[in-house]
Amino acid sequence: MENSYEETIDKRRVHLRPDTLRDPAPASLHLLPCEVPVNRPTPVGRFFTPAIRLGSDGLEASFRGRSLRGEEVVVPPGFVGYVMTEEKAEVLVAKQDDHEREEQELEEPPEALERDCDRFMGATASFSSFTVWGLESIPGPDAKLRGALSWPSLAAAIHAQVPED
Amino acid sequence: MARGADGGEGARVWQHVFLLPEYLKDASKKMKSGLVFVKLANPCSGEGAIYLINMCLPQLFEIKVFKEKNHSWFINESVQSGGLLHFATPVDPLFLLLHYLIKADKEGKFQPLDQVVMDDMFPDCILLLKLPELEKLLRHVTEEKEVDKKKYYKYSKEKTLKWLEKKVNQTVAALKTSKVNVSARVQSTAFFSGGQVSSDKDEDYVCYAHGLISDYIPKQLSDDLSKYLKLPEPPASVRNPPSKKAKLSDEPVNAKEDYTKFNSKDFKTVKKNSKMTAAQKALAKVDKSGMKSGSTKTEKGQVTADPRKALLLLLGLKTLPKGYIQLLLHFLENHQMPKEAF
Amino acid sequence: MDLSELERDNTGRCRLSSPVPPVCLKEPCVLGVDEAGRGPVLGPMVYAICYCPLSRLEDLEALKVADSKTLSESERDRLFAKMEEDGDFVGWALDVLSPNLISTSMLGRVKYNLNALSHDTATGLVQFALDQGVNVAQVFVDTVGLPETYQERLQQRFPGIEVTVKAKADALYPVVSAASICAKVARDQAVKNWKFVEKLQDLDTDYGSGYPNDPKTKAWLRKHVDPVFGFPQFVRFSWRTAQSILETEAEDVKWEDSETGDQEGPGKIKSYFSESPQTCLRLPHRYFQERGLESATVL
Repeated sequence: MENSYEETIDKRRVHLRPDTLRDPAPASLHLLPCEVPVNRPTPVGRFFTPAIRLGSDGLEASFRGRSLRGEEVVVPPGFVGYVMTEEKAEVLVAKQDDHEREEQELEEPPEALERDCDRFMGATASFSSFTVWGLESIPGPDAKLRGALSWPSLAAAIHAQVPED
Repeated sequence: MARGADGGEGARVWQHVFLLPEYLKDASKKMKSGLVFVKLANPCSGEGAIYLINMCLPQLFEIKVFKEKNHSWFINESVQSGGLLHFATPVDPLFLLLHYLIKADKEGKFQPLDQVVMDDMFPDCILLLKLPELEKLLRHVTEEKEVDKKKYYKYSKEKTLKWLEKKVNQTVAALKTSKVNVSARVQSTAFFSGGQVSSDKDEDYVCYAHGLISDYIPKQLSDDLSKYLKLPEPPASVRNPPSKKAKLSDEPVNAKEDYTKFNSKDFKTVKKNSKMTAAQKALAKVDKSGMKSGSTKTEKGQVTADPRKALLLLLGLKTLPKGYIQLLLHFLENHQMPKEAF
Repeated sequence: MDLSELERDNTGRCRLSSPVPPVCLKEPCVLGVDEAGRGPVLGPMVYAICYCPLSRLEDLEALKVADSKTLSESERDRLFAKMEEDGDFVGWALDVLSPNLISTSMLGRVKYNLNALSHDTATGLVQFALDQGVNVAQVFVDTVGLPETYQERLQQRFPGIEVTVKAKADALYPVVSAASICAKVARDQAVKNWKFVEKLQDLDTDYGSGYPNDPKTKAWLRKHVDPVFGFPQFVRFSWRTAQSILETEAEDVKWEDSETGDQEGPGKIKSYFSESPQTCLRLPHRYFQERGLESATVL
């Protein structure tokens, strides 16, 4: 299923609405050490967060009868965390009308970038830190995620322009 | 699983978790549109990868995704499967241009950039041409000519290797300050908190940086860079030198396409590109003598886009898998497999 | 019984105890060990010890303590109150093991089964009495698992004490009966006043006996199952009853140590090539592999 989907979107651009980046509401995020195979609203604030305890080795919680140990991690310096969702078709129509009205304000004619089949995304929330949970032990500095968070600083070095001779 | 992902209710939206540079937020004050995710050819694999273009600055970002098995997010009052975390980090657009310049070099002539950077698979590559200071960037990797106020470029391996060496050097510096464990031997522990890092040899740093840069350039260029940097050849490649066929398959390594498809497409581009502009014809005639010999040498090592050779490649299909396997072995010995693999 | 400490945090383990009667520091004592709430799918399991000087055992028997299961709730409460009155020669201590502790122990990466948890808790309580200076001479324990092996282990652990482990010890030895009353009173009170950690809506507190075969308990479980979170922490997730409801009513959550059909380890290298011919042949550099990073190809 994913493959055919992938093929059809290959040539479609995904526009990220810049105005949604300005000040979306702060979000609380938890990265869990298990796969929950659904995407949907769920009562995190009723079941999960009230049961978080501060133990001797960091945060403690449990999920589905399994013990979790967690820690707060901050996003890399110079970065902001965003939660982004794709706009539904109805919203898209409305927004496109919006764009037609504002066309003259744009630096670039919209047809240069936006096409009919394109998809649109917007940030719905932002975050500057999140809680990462390990199964029975704290993820700690050796966790893959902690390593991944150091990527932006190395990327900056790799992709900086080289000094001229 | 009783109530699957398809239970209805409408609210089941896929939420993408992203880390974006803070300044994109500031840029958002000035623009109504101009942040676009597009699919472009990954310069290492040639396959499609997601990039973010900020048309206002303009600037190009690559998207790396953190993905670990058995992870999910709680995002406010919702659950999101997968547990993916996307990183948008600025990428040097020259790596992406280089992919096209090397491809176009099979033509062996100077070409305007808009003829070089075109792609049926990833048509959005033309957006790369809108990035700033391209001319300045291109000087690192091409010879250029100007005819009738129009610039023509030709890939220069010599210049490219010099440029890549600088890239490796600045990467080495960053690796040292960020205390990344680059030791070739210790593979079991990913990160050290200090101490042992200092014992890593300079050569290990260069090898590691070369490996990182190699993720942004084609395999052949990576091998050339390794030689250029005089890095020790991995013992594996001495025992198993890639056959000529394997070398030929520099391009078909792209496993996404079958060979017939690749080759027929190659024919097409050959045809298309063979229509030279008058200026190009003039160039082709005129200035060969003035060009550096290095670039001519390069041509010989590269796959030429000669239709006859492409046909040979087609006919050689039966023997190809062998080269393919050797390439694979060669590759496996040079790259570390994930430690879970063993 | 004052369970306010448990009510402050009922996600872990909670130990409560009476003051040690001074006479128990001097005179050789007999100590009984018993438990309440081992079987139920809901609520905590309570382990209790009760002790008195050997010389006062008759006074304890005079209270007419009996196996707590043969007594009504009010009789147990009355007997516990009497024991409190006799605090000059009867002491007790108990460990409340929250259902969350039971679940996370039993479902741990390294499985910690209920028998082992019970043995260790009982041992811990005897040690606690010793640490408080109680002059323990004899220990009577209602068995969990095989009495012979359990007795041997306890005897090894406490070589200076005469240990007796028996089935139905709670009916045979008054000091074990007394311990069973302490445990049962604590368990009943804990269940009755359970402070749910979760902020649940429409919480129904009519959960029956808590035993898996009680229709009321079963109905309560079905009513309070959440497709993502499963149950409140009041439920022992490690019970088969709970698991089977989750299997049908909740999402299938996978952990890194979940048993799955697909092969991990050596199989993985193959999957890079044979399973999906579409993947790039060149693996990302080890920097990226070690950090779980790859180039995004879909959005």
